[in-house]
Amino acid sequence: MEIQRTKSLMQRGKIGNCTVYCVKTHRRRLRLPFRLVSSPSIKFEMMWKLGFAFLLVAAASICEAAAIFSPISEAHRSAALELFSPAAGMFTSLEEASESLRTFEVLGIEIGTDLKDSTCKSVVDALSSGSPNSKDLYYALRVSSVLKCKISEGDLTGGVALRLKDFVKDAKSLLDFYYSIGGLVLIKDQASEVDVLLEDADGIFRSVKDLSQSDGKWRYNSNNPESSTYAAGIALETLSGIITLKSSEIDGNLIHALKKDVVKLFDNVDKYDDGAYYFDDQFVDASGHQGPVSATSSVVRGLTTLASTSGSLNIPGDKILGLARFFLGIGVPGTGKDLYYQIDALACLDQNRVLVPLILSLPASVLSITSQDKLKVKVTTVLGSTGPPLSVKLMQVFSSGSKDASIINKELKFDHKEAVHVLDALPAGVDVGEYVFAFEIALSDLEHKKIYATGGRTKVPVYVTGVVKVENDKVEVLESDSVETQQKLDLPGKNDVALAANHLQKLRFSFQLTTPLQNPFKPHQALLKLRHESGVEHSFVVGNSGKLFETTLDFLGLVENFFYLSGKYDIELTVGDAAMENSFLQPLGHIELDLPDAPEKSARPPAQPINPYLRYGPKPEIAHVFRSQEKRPPQELSYAFLGLVFVPFLAFLIGLLRLGVNMKNFPTSTIPAAFAILFHGGIAAVLGLYGLFWLKLDLFTTLKTLGVMGIFLMFVGHRALSHLASASEKVKSA
Amino acid sequence: MIGNKIRHDTTWNHRDDRYGCKRTRNRGGDSVHGCKVVVIRVNLQSPNTSRLRSRTLNPNQNMAKFSIATVFIASISLLLALTRSFSVENPTDRRILVLLDDLALKSSHSIFFTSLQARGFELDFKLSDDPKIALQRYGQHLYDGLVLFSPTTERFGGSLDVAAILDFVDSGKDLIVAADASASDLIRNIAAECGVDFDEDPSAVVIDHGSYAVSGTEGDHTLIAADDFIQSDVLLGSTKIEAPVLFKGIGHSVNPANSLVLKVLSASPSAYSANPKSKLSSPPSLSGSSISLVSVVQARNNARVVFSGSLDLFSNKFFKSPVQKAGSSNKYAKSGNEQFVTELSKWVFHERGHLKAVNVRHHRVGETDEPAIYRINDDLQYSVEIYEWSGSSWEPYVANDVQVQFYMMSPYVLKTMSTNKKGLYHASFKVPDVYGVFQFKVEYQRLGYTSLSLAKQIPVRPFRHNEYERFIPTAFPYYGASFSTMAGFLIFSFIYLYSK
Repeated sequence: MEIQRTKSLMQRGKIGNCTVYCVKTHRRRLRLPFRLVSSPSIKFEMMWKLGFAFLLVAAASICEAAAIFSPISEAHRSAALELFSPAAGMFTSLEEASESLRTFEVLGIEIGTDLKDSTCKSVVDALSSGSPNSKDLYYALRVSSVLKCKISEGDLTGGVALRLKDFVKDAKSLLDFYYSIGGLVLIKDQASEVDVLLEDADGIFRSVKDLSQSDGKWRYNSNNPESSTYAAGIALETLSGIITLKSSEIDGNLIHALKKDVVKLFDNVDKYDDGAYYFDDQFVDASGHQGPVSATSSVVRGLTTLASTSGSLNIPGDKILGLARFFLGIGVPGTGKDLYYQIDALACLDQNRVLVPLILSLPASVLSITSQDKLKVKVTTVLGSTGPPLSVKLMQVFSSGSKDASIINKELKFDHKEAVHVLDALPAGVDVGEYVFAFEIALSDLEHKKIYATGGRTKVPVYVTGVVKVENDKVEVLESDSVETQQKLDLPGKNDVALAANHLQKLRFSFQLTTPLQNPFKPHQALLKLRHESGVEHSFVVGNSGKLFETTLDFLGLVENFFYLSGKYDIELTVGDAAMENSFLQPLGHIELDLPDAPEKSARPPAQPINPYLRYGPKPEIAHVFRSQEKRPPQELSYAFLGLVFVPFLAFLIGLLRLGVNMKNFPTSTIPAAFAILFHGGIAAVLGLYGLFWLKLDLFTTLKTLGVMGIFLMFVGHRALSHLASASEKVKSA
Repeated sequence: MIGNKIRHDTTWNHRDDRYGCKRTRNRGGDSVHGCKVVVIRVNLQSPNTSRLRSRTLNPNQNMAKFSIATVFIASISLLLALTRSFSVENPTDRRILVLLDDLALKSSHSIFFTSLQARGFELDFKLSDDPKIALQRYGQHLYDGLVLFSPTTERFGGSLDVAAILDFVDSGKDLIVAADASASDLIRNIAAECGVDFDEDPSAVVIDHGSYAVSGTEGDHTLIAADDFIQSDVLLGSTKIEAPVLFKGIGHSVNPANSLVLKVLSASPSAYSANPKSKLSSPPSLSGSSISLVSVVQARNNARVVFSGSLDLFSNKFFKSPVQKAGSSNKYAKSGNEQFVTELSKWVFHERGHLKAVNVRHHRVGETDEPAIYRINDDLQYSVEIYEWSGSSWEPYVANDVQVQFYMMSPYVLKTMSTNKKGLYHASFKVPDVYGVFQFKVEYQRLGYTSLSLAKQIPVRPFRHNEYERFIPTAFPYYGASFSTMAGFLIFSFIYLYSK
């Protein structure tokens, strides 16, 4: 919450140069409680920081603090419905039920009858069960006071009230007193005929008062020296309960001392720069749920209850208002507990007998001067109901640019229909820009001053916006200060200038801005951008000299910054300001730059980010290119050549026949003839083996077979040939 | 046990610790998260358990048996306990440490935290300076994710520092970092290590006079209505985010050299990063749509990191507030923050976009068994099943851009696989006529998805001698010539010897 709070402060526009200080102060002070709790070892550092923080606070006190606090809104209602709606149709505990129902009651949310019946049933169960715990009874009674459960009288009179009285007698710790006395007060409110008065109110009062500390804080019980602000709130509520339930007068001195304690308690209050006050609790109990919200809420509750029973308390109005601002400043808490504390405290503040804070809020703090928005101010109580008759005056207007303020003192007109105070026209001299308006609330009835806290001057940041006129806008290319080309622009509008320049020339770009009140206007953002085709960007601030905004780009000095990149540059102009309604981003056209070639050691342009969509896309497919088949002649040609190949063989056969070959030399005797046949048969077999080798055999089989055949062939060949040789020898010799 | 299971299961969830961020670091470590852990846990705990048990029951001879049984039971129960946390089979994070610089954030950002808890995450909230912070104990990580909602913290408590956080990311864990206008150097350093550079000027915030959120009370245009989202269903969900996202904080730029960082939410072209309270004297270091408002990093080990320049982006206030972008007449009752943050957190905690590939198969067309070697010019079929984790179960992943490569030094074949829309991807192609040791590769990297990187080695051989074509018609004249010569020789030898 505190972080959120700090941020809200930062969001809400601190004015002037003190901003940083203010924010830093917050940070340090805010984080303090948690740090101290979580790591005591760094206490020294903390103390140093604390001292530093106080210095900063001193420095920050001169800061202008301005913030808008809005009363409870619809957001709280929807948050309450979300956070408190029980999941299973039943509240898990009576404590949760009482907190939820209290929040719903304040915010005006009706709960369903089913839930009501089931909760009432558990209330009756708790009251009649004879619980040994005053806490259960207290929460049961709180729930029934909201839901108006029908509880048979017997339960209340006979049991609960007597039991609670017993609890009061036996009570030792603060919480025991709180629950039992709180329970009795609730019974008194619900059933006036039941006797709940305490006989020894004075004594009980004293024993509770004994737990108080000198600084206004309270202890939970007498054994525990740790004191807490949360406990102080509880104690105040308990004591006012005792005052309600008294049967005899309580010593006036005691009440006087109590009121002094309250004032002392307010000495410990912490403050934000925007005027919000809160109590911090450094003591965390077992539940661990103690922080500024719960502590402040508890004090507010105790304070307002005490005021309702024992008359006015002497508390300054700005502190009461500050407490209200604290609760409004935390926005919508995200946990049920915190939301309950916030809403409960605000409900207590909404109607109390100390002082009722009146919250000045602006429905809109961004006003358009062009559409003549009227400044509306709403003054309500913290829960958003209309306040008493009053008038609102605009006292001062601070401009963000200058320190001095114009004093105005102008009363706002009250619009009865919308219940807002309207400023007819903005004060003279208020042009577009950021301002802080200081308002004062004046109550019509002087008697009301004792009832309501208005908190003196309320400072509110206001943004005045308007349409700014752009004039004399032109772009020029200069060569040694003489204008080479000049082009008029139309801003804001469509432009498409086409310029060309080299590195010896300059580009001058100028325009003028005037506010609706004809004052010169200086926007926060006036940037000229040149973007090269490759994506390299260069921005230049368009500076102003008096009225005229002008920037001159001397390309000779810029070539290095431009990475010697020649080519087309797109020109883009951005003019924007928080107060300028027509902030624009305009492409103006392009300029062709002719820059010298880059020297060797010049810086390379920075890498441009790769488009992630392209980077992650699928890659182009790759198909393998297979080796192409060798070119072959057509089959017919092969067959034709096959035929041709056999022609010599045929010719050989025919030639043999022509020559008249015969077989006369063939051996006639049986044995040589057999060898000759075997020999030639062997040759034919070897040739046949070659044929088989071609068809299917592998080399090894072939060689093996060939080996066997070769030996056989050698043997028969030798016999056949030697026979033939001997036969021819015989012929020769013959 | 898990180790074995994983080794048998052909799962290529690439979640080992190869660092994805800017730095180049070399680290050893277990490649599959979870395996080592089991072993350690069993060793640590089982002796204790068995001792304890054996003391209460004291049968001497049964003791050995019994302690084995207790070890077994203990390991089973540990396995059950571990299945609740991050594992390969169940990649969603479970235990998340949330570091806050103020406990009040728990309340102001409760919707975000509640939505995480409702989705089954165990959140452990700690103050960032809590001295008891530890990310790991006995070498085992205590958390699966870390949320740093502590922009102002200068030093973490306990042993946590930048190196420990980067180590955490190195081991495949996830991280959300939110900064704001007061971001400390610590947060900036963590971001810079991952390639995200927040604007160095500490007072600068993102201002946009062009697309600010129209508000009755905030006039300084630092509350930005951003709607330049990355186009990615896996990052931001399939439902389009209609309403702009409210942003208030600092901008950052992403390192163009780092391909692992993605801008998820970019600023509009008119945005710039500067101090709104002081005059702009020099051009802002960040301007235009190069400003990133929210970025994500997916490291090479699939660890995911989100960087946001705004802590308020996650706050209840922004979740609930209505939004209207300047210059547009569309008013939205609720900003897009809740949807944006919820969807992004689903991504970062691995409820979406986590892929696994199983059942990688390849075989010749017409066969079913996987061969040990392919021959050139074979026709083959490759198939893989890819599933996406939906947060509770593995759903078939449907896409039309999964590609397989047949790779040796460079891809020879790169083909987009066709899918049956039930997770099965297959492609068939002819083995190139180049022999050598090839790889089937699936390198699947898509925006936002975890990367899949599968590689399977397979040799390719040339034709055997008897696998070539035998009787080529072109050679018939040669055959004819040989045989006619052979016949001629036979006849000639006969005639020569016996003719008179």
